[in-house]
Amino acid sequence: MEILAKTAFAFYALIICGGSIMAVMSKSLVRALIGLIAVMMALAGMYLLLAAPFIAFMQILIYVGGVSVLIFFAIMLTRASPDGDEAQGNSLRKGILALFAMLVPAAVLSVIIVRNPEKGLAVPVEVATAALGKGMLEVYLLPFEIISVILFAAMAGAVLVAWQKRGKQ
Amino acid sequence: MSALGLFQLVALFLLAVGLFGLIWRRTLVGMLISLELMVNGAGLSIVAAGQLTAGDAIIGQLSTLFVMGLAAAEATLILAIILVVFKRFKGAQTMDVSELRG
Repeated sequence: MEILAKTAFAFYALIICGGSIMAVMSKSLVRALIGLIAVMMALAGMYLLLAAPFIAFMQILIYVGGVSVLIFFAIMLTRASPDGDEAQGNSLRKGILALFAMLVPAAVLSVIIVRNPEKGLAVPVEVATAALGKGMLEVYLLPFEIISVILFAAMAGAVLVAWQKRGKQ
Repeated sequence: MSALGLFQLVALFLLAVGLFGLIWRRTLVGMLISLELMVNGAGLSIVAAGQLTAGDAIIGQLSTLFVMGLAAAEATLILAIILVVFKRFKGAQTMDVSELRG
């Protein structure tokens, strides 16, 4: 079982590496979105490895089903062509700045993770989905309600921002 | 290296690549994709910390659910903003909207 779990982890980690690099470096935005979807699916696999199946299904439902469609709409509505905005090369200075922005937090945090090895549990805790629902409606009721208000405000705000009055161009 | 450390390293990798993409991308949609990468990494980190330590596992899973809800809300709002920018500036490049006018 140990070997199986490690193999699955390595497989998902590989997909995450490849997909995220594709999502960032790809010239075509549609291909970048495909890379992002691969990363999201592999993350759902990681959640299954962590014994959190409910989160894994929510990940597929919300991210792969919802957010990726939204991003696809954004790509479609801005008419991003494969030889358009992203295809023109970036300057060397921008590349160096981007590498710097990536390496500084990555170096600091990875040193912290490697230098302070937290033992952790060998086997993840199992939480019943019923316990999650109970927590959402009892102890963590306030965050749950606030999230619903925020979702409503975001939807209403999105409609308000994108709304254009007729005749006013 | 313990399992917890490995999961945290994967989450850190997603954060780093997302930060790189945020600077590297020229269009707003590309920046949105990088942002989603970072949010996904944060979710993985929270769930791993909840599941693999002696802490409360329920709060770990629930906070990731809330993060997902926030990410969905933020994606809709960003889609609306991208639409407005595209209508007004005839393009969704970041350099088009680098000037403020009072």
